[in-house]
Amino acid sequence: MTLESKPLQLGGQVPNFELAVYDPVKNDFGTISLDEIKSQGKWTLLFFYPADFTFV
Amino acid sequence: MGAVLITVSTDTQFVHLAWKRHEKSLENVQYLMGSDASGKVSRLFGVYVEDAGLALRGTFIINPEGRLLNSEVSFFNMGRNIEELMRKFKANLYLAKKPAEACPAQWKDEGDKTLTPGPSMVGKVHEALAK
Repeated sequence: MTLESKPLQLGGQVPNFELAVYDPVKNDFGTISLDEIKSQGKWTLLFFYPADFTFV
Repeated sequence: MGAVLITVSTDTQFVHLAWKRHEKSLENVQYLMGSDASGKVSRLFGVYVEDAGLALRGTFIINPEGRLLNSEVSFFNMGRNIEELMRKFKANLYLAKKPAEACPAQWKDEGDKTLTPGPSMVGKVHEALAK
């Protein structure tokens, strides 16, 4: 089953995902995954927006 | 605050860097700027618009166990403010500590009135909040 075929539900488990990131604090590129954040015992706040150079 | 904030668009991380350098209001940005160029993560969260190749304005809160606890999506033309997200995040943090309680609409921060659902509260929310 692909990730896309199963809609996420509130209260349900989010499958692991990975994103390429720019980290302004380190001024460097890298990747981050949900599993990585979970292993640090932290919450994940995701903030989607359509495009850079516009408003959020 | 025990959380990792990631902003996500379908731009590349290189464009994120250029935007951050260029836009004065992003001068003090400390959060991770995520790239979902393939749209995979945006599709997972149901915010990807196939025709546009862009993500809608979706906000999601995931707890440290990987459970999705909040989801809110706005169309392209409606912006959000960070206070809205922080109120929801603070409420989640509080409720994680006090699972028997519930945060009503007016709840803003720890110390504000909460509700404890149970038989005595049924039909008496107004009185419970006035206490």
